[in-house]
Amino acid sequence: MIAVVSSATVVGAVGHPVSVEVHVSNGLPGFTVVGLPDAAVREARDRVRAAILSSGLPWPLRRVTVNLAPSGLRKGGAGLDLPIAVGLLLASGALPTPVAGNVSFVGELGLDGSVRHVPAVIALADAATGRRLVVPEPDAAEAAAVFGGPVAGVGSLRQVADVLAGSAPWPTSRGKRPGSGASARGRRAGRGTAGVPDHPGAPEVAEVPDLADVRGQRLGRRALEVAAAGGHHLLMVGPPGSGKTMLAARLPSLLPSLTAEQALEVSRVHSAAGVPLPGDVLIRRPPLRAPHHGASAVSLVGGGTASMRPGEISLANHGVLFLDEMGEFPAAVLDALRQPMEDGVVRVSRARSTVTFPARFLLVGAMNPCPCGDGMRPGACRCSDTQRSRYLRRLSAPLLDRFDLAVPLQVPEASELLAPADGEPSAAVAGRVAAARELAAARGAECNASLSAAALADAAPLSPGARALLERRLRAGSLSARGLERVRRVARTVADLDRSVLVTEAHVAEALSLRAGREALLPGCGL
Amino acid sequence: MTGVAPSLPEPAFAAALAALPKMGPAHLRRLLQGGTPSEAWAHVRRGHPLDEDGRWRRASEAVDPTELWSAHRRLGIGVHLRGEPPYPAALARDDEAPAVLFSLGDPDVVDRFPRVGIVGTRSATRYGLGVAVQLGSELAAAGVAVVSGLALGVDGAAHEGACAAFEENGAPPVAVVAGGLDRPYPARNARLWARVAAAGVVLSESTAGTRPEQWRFPLRNRIMAALSEVLVVVECHERGGSLHTVHAAERRGIAVGAVPGSVRSPASSGTNGLVATGCFPVRDTTDVLVALGLARAGRGIRRRAGVRRRGSPRRDDAGGGPIAPGARGVVAPTHRGDLASSDVPPAGKGGSGDAQGPVASVLAALGYEPCPIEALLGATGLSLSEASAVLEELAAAGVVRGRAGWWERA
Repeated sequence: MIAVVSSATVVGAVGHPVSVEVHVSNGLPGFTVVGLPDAAVREARDRVRAAILSSGLPWPLRRVTVNLAPSGLRKGGAGLDLPIAVGLLLASGALPTPVAGNVSFVGELGLDGSVRHVPAVIALADAATGRRLVVPEPDAAEAAAVFGGPVAGVGSLRQVADVLAGSAPWPTSRGKRPGSGASARGRRAGRGTAGVPDHPGAPEVAEVPDLADVRGQRLGRRALEVAAAGGHHLLMVGPPGSGKTMLAARLPSLLPSLTAEQALEVSRVHSAAGVPLPGDVLIRRPPLRAPHHGASAVSLVGGGTASMRPGEISLANHGVLFLDEMGEFPAAVLDALRQPMEDGVVRVSRARSTVTFPARFLLVGAMNPCPCGDGMRPGACRCSDTQRSRYLRRLSAPLLDRFDLAVPLQVPEASELLAPADGEPSAAVAGRVAAARELAAARGAECNASLSAAALADAAPLSPGARALLERRLRAGSLSARGLERVRRVARTVADLDRSVLVTEAHVAEALSLRAGREALLPGCGL
Repeated sequence: MTGVAPSLPEPAFAAALAALPKMGPAHLRRLLQGGTPSEAWAHVRRGHPLDEDGRWRRASEAVDPTELWSAHRRLGIGVHLRGEPPYPAALARDDEAPAVLFSLGDPDVVDRFPRVGIVGTRSATRYGLGVAVQLGSELAAAGVAVVSGLALGVDGAAHEGACAAFEENGAPPVAVVAGGLDRPYPARNARLWARVAAAGVVLSESTAGTRPEQWRFPLRNRIMAALSEVLVVVECHERGGSLHTVHAAERRGIAVGAVPGSVRSPASSGTNGLVATGCFPVRDTTDVLVALGLARAGRGIRRRAGVRRRGSPRRDDAGGGPIAPGARGVVAPTHRGDLASSDVPPAGKGGSGDAQGPVASVLAALGYEPCPIEALLGATGLSLSEASAVLEELAAAGVVRGRAGWWERA
């Protein structure tokens, strides 16, 4: 007898429908899986058999063949365990056949018959073709956030069998409702499946820190505001202890919330990477990713051999990618960022397939000006010329050019650290940022950083004073032609924050100040 | 290699000996004590008692004196034995004089002019660089050969000034370097290196092709000290390499002067320390000429009008006093005598900044030493736009200079 059960698998961050065909016939007892299964799927045989027996269901002592269609698509992960088990029960006659026709199943089985969490549920739910979707209980809320029909979160194979046999109703999902997060987390924590981690990867993100806690740092605060308003990549140059990490952590709090479409895209990628979603619903705030400088190129841009996994730059999509100690990243890893930064997507190509992940992020880099860290204060640096240039060689000029802002930071004075925190809170700054972004949107760009060069010339009319200042800098050689465009772009954002149509001398001067950190990174500190 | 041409002059063998690895000046002196360089060379080839581990003997097999000699000739590098002209007599008198000296340029200039060494840190401030350029050019113009090390920072700046003055009939510059004369180091100073060689002379005790290894720099410093009649330290850190040169000069009884700087500038901590321990303070070129015996104290031959004498506030001397171009006074600096308040601005947040006008409040907050823009924002209460606009305006007028977020008076 034959049974067909619908399910899905994930390639990269995109789900593909899979139909699981199970054929049970007379012959020597055996269990074969065909249709490009990967190792995890091939191992499903043993899990499925044990789960069926542990659930008190009959195992057919006959010949079992499972085909995963379309057979050209490589299937990975343990999410096909549940549909294979269901198909087997249907095909062997243990369950009545017609019931499962318009239900899609996704889930990993434990040997005891429990149904366990699978990663990338959002992408799987996208691809599921059934009218109802059955997923592991901990993933129900995530699936319900995107799936059109009813979602059932199940805890065990026995429960599924009971429902299909008609002796119990489908459990109702508890997705979408705000505030369901805490209960879902609690449930998950209480679920004792032998210490198997529910979600590998980063721990859940705490509250986003607020700009109000920052003392002093007028320049740093302003740089964050301009970066957020214009979508300008930001490089922070300063000695250890100048608050680079602290400032970067607060940048997401200045960015506008994600639109529904962006939220879905971001959540899908996070789900595909197995990163827990906040409160089991969609990610609504721009994410912040801060990979360590030991990160490999693949972990940053995505890829992998068995299953393609999104990298940090895709997890930072529509959010902030923060690279602390940028000078410590291997040059090859940094250069791998250049193409995605240009295109907004990253294409990971392997022999068998090419996967595209979104990668539209705001890059924030932080680095010391030189190995001793004192390279900016005149007369303070103790590094030799060779040490300096070796340190700075890590940062290729093309990558350095991607930063519109290069802000020089200083260690705050003791008096400032002890003063009460009287800075503006993030909400106030975010208001100005949103207003400036609206002005950019009126020009037909998401933000000023993505404005085309022609549109920029149009949108940033210079006052005579601003023109004179730029001319002076160009003639003195302290500004290049490429730098000029960057400065104009940033000056446009500064003027937007000022609600000024004209880009004045003050706006250009500020843009130059926000770029002065570059000078610490160029050779020739002395003569 | 074995068949050394008998016609090869003695300096060729001295050059070959100096090319051996780990051949310091003391070893070379002892090798050459007993006889001529050719004898010493033959001795090393056979195995010299000083050569305990046989390192020199092994290395000498790869050194061909003939080839080395022709290389020096081709590169225009002179090789001089101590005591034989044109080896500078001024240097030959020194106890630690190199046994063999290499020169690019005219070694005679050393004995023809009074000499002042100008040394200092590689990471100098704008102030230090400015002082070095001015001392270099004014001393050269006064007929004094400037001796320096062609390093980055103060050394290079002093020679820049000296070379500029030489082109207007000043004294030629003298440089002493650590590595081979065919290897300009640091590479960024290669052009200056060539200018000094063309105008005066570049000296070294290393054979052409020698890398400027770390250990050669302190040794180079002793030659600079030996060549100087007066040594001036423009800016140096608490434990800077310039202090090697100072100690070498003090051992030789050479007068050492130091340019005072801000007590808050790390680049002046070494020089201020020298002044505190008895080195004479260098406020202008006249102070150096007096020490050299070329001018009389109190009757400065080049002291500018309008410069305050002793007893007047020193702050201003350091920033824009005697050692500073006079024609820059676009905005009169506010004179304040006491050190401690120098970068604690009088302007409170906001209010007084407006009352004085943003330009005045920025200048007041800037003080007379490098100041980060962050501190200016805190002191004046101006927004980044306003402060940047004021600074750019002042920079255009030549009053201030900025680099990497730090601003200082030009």
